[in-house]
Amino acid sequence: MLLSGGPRGRCTRWDPASSSSRCARGRESGGQELCCRLLCYEQSERLLQESLQMKMEEMSLSGLDNSKLEAIAHEIYTDLVEDACLGLCFEVHRAVKCGYFFLDDTDPDSMKDFEIVDQPGVDIFGQVYNQWKNKECVCPNCSRSIAASRFAPHLEKCLGMGRNSSRIANRRIASSNNMNKSESDQEDNDDINDNDWFYGSEKKAKKRKSDKNPNSPRRSKSLKHKNGELSSNSDPFKYSNSTGINYETLGPEELRTLLTTQCGVISEHTKKMCTRSLRCPQHTDEQRRTVRVYFLGPSAPLPEAEGSVENDSFDVAESQALMSRLQWDGSSDLSPSDSASSKTSTNNSESRKTKKKKPHLSLVGAAPGLSSNKKKKPKPPAPPTPSIYDDIN
Amino acid sequence: IKETHNNHMNRDAQMKAILHQKLIETGERERLQERIRAKFLECGWKDQLQAHCRAVIQEKGVEQVNVDTLVAELTPKARALVPDSFKEELLQRVRTFLAQQVRP
Repeated sequence: MLLSGGPRGRCTRWDPASSSSRCARGRESGGQELCCRLLCYEQSERLLQESLQMKMEEMSLSGLDNSKLEAIAHEIYTDLVEDACLGLCFEVHRAVKCGYFFLDDTDPDSMKDFEIVDQPGVDIFGQVYNQWKNKECVCPNCSRSIAASRFAPHLEKCLGMGRNSSRIANRRIASSNNMNKSESDQEDNDDINDNDWFYGSEKKAKKRKSDKNPNSPRRSKSLKHKNGELSSNSDPFKYSNSTGINYETLGPEELRTLLTTQCGVISEHTKKMCTRSLRCPQHTDEQRRTVRVYFLGPSAPLPEAEGSVENDSFDVAESQALMSRLQWDGSSDLSPSDSASSKTSTNNSESRKTKKKKPHLSLVGAAPGLSSNKKKKPKPPAPPTPSIYDDIN
Repeated sequence: IKETHNNHMNRDAQMKAILHQKLIETGERERLQERIRAKFLECGWKDQLQAHCRAVIQEKGVEQVNVDTLVAELTPKARALVPDSFKEELLQRVRTFLAQQVRP
């Protein structure tokens, strides 16, 4: 037991604790004292050896000369370097086997191609970075040059796509014409119209107009001047509908341009010209042709290809008849009962729009001629209603 | 006497083993390794070795690569590429450590 404490503190890893505990166990078992002693002796002898060894090591450690220490230092150094190298080898090996070792390989050519440019005025790719700043585009519609950044919004307006398109501008022009001319027209149209029927709508329209144009005192004044029987001036064609143009107030030149670009068929309800395109599906070619003949004369060409072919078949007499009919149309007093009755007619809706406007006074003789002419069309229109009514009447 | 003689025979090996043990136990080896790693990355040792690696692998073919051949190829180069100043620094640190262990 004396020996168990023998080795000094730093030799405890030679396990004196376990051996002493074993001795202690042997001592406890009193019945086998001899055996225990033998055991203790054995162990103590081993411990003696170990402690001797430790002493030798200590001695040798302290007695190491510098050359040996130097050798050990070198060995440790080599060990460390090789460790690092081994780590790198594992790393590279894994990279190779996983296939990502050669990923960052680049040849000098491409390195040169994608070199970062560091010069004033250009970006890192060597491009001038504000080259698009001052580009201008020429509008194909109005042939103005517009800054590239504003080109799309301009096109939208110019070509008539959005809400603020040229279509609305056209309408505004038309309505301003309307205002200028209506003064003179009013007197002519005074006696034409059914006053009671249009009273409400005219009032509404007037109100809206004065709202929209607060800086046109002349117009509002004249209306006010009409005063007591404001209804007497009421002109159905002046009723400003958002989808039509009042053709009564347009000049001939304006009419011509309008009819070459728009459908122009006069609506049944609003008495306005249709402002859709020439191919608007709501009206037939026949209706369009009738309107053009009425406004521009029999020689007026229809913009449609098929229309121009059929135009040849119009003779002067027929167009005269048409004119007279349409003139009746323009100045006819449409009574409510009349329009109601025509609305109930069983005609197909396409022809009804224009036919309805024709008064019951329309020439009976002209109607068959017209319809016979129209037989050439693939879709023959229904016989005009007013004439039927005439026959019935 | 005989035992001491036997001990004397492998005394150097034991010493070495003890010192290595000490090196690990005190954590000094770990510190040295950390220092080595940082330094090798910093001074381009790693890049140079990788370039060498690339050359070796391309020469031998990717299929023939294994760790043993890599170690055999790289170790001499790795030793040679260590900068002298750093080698001196490392050795000095190891010597200091050993001296501390021998004469506490």
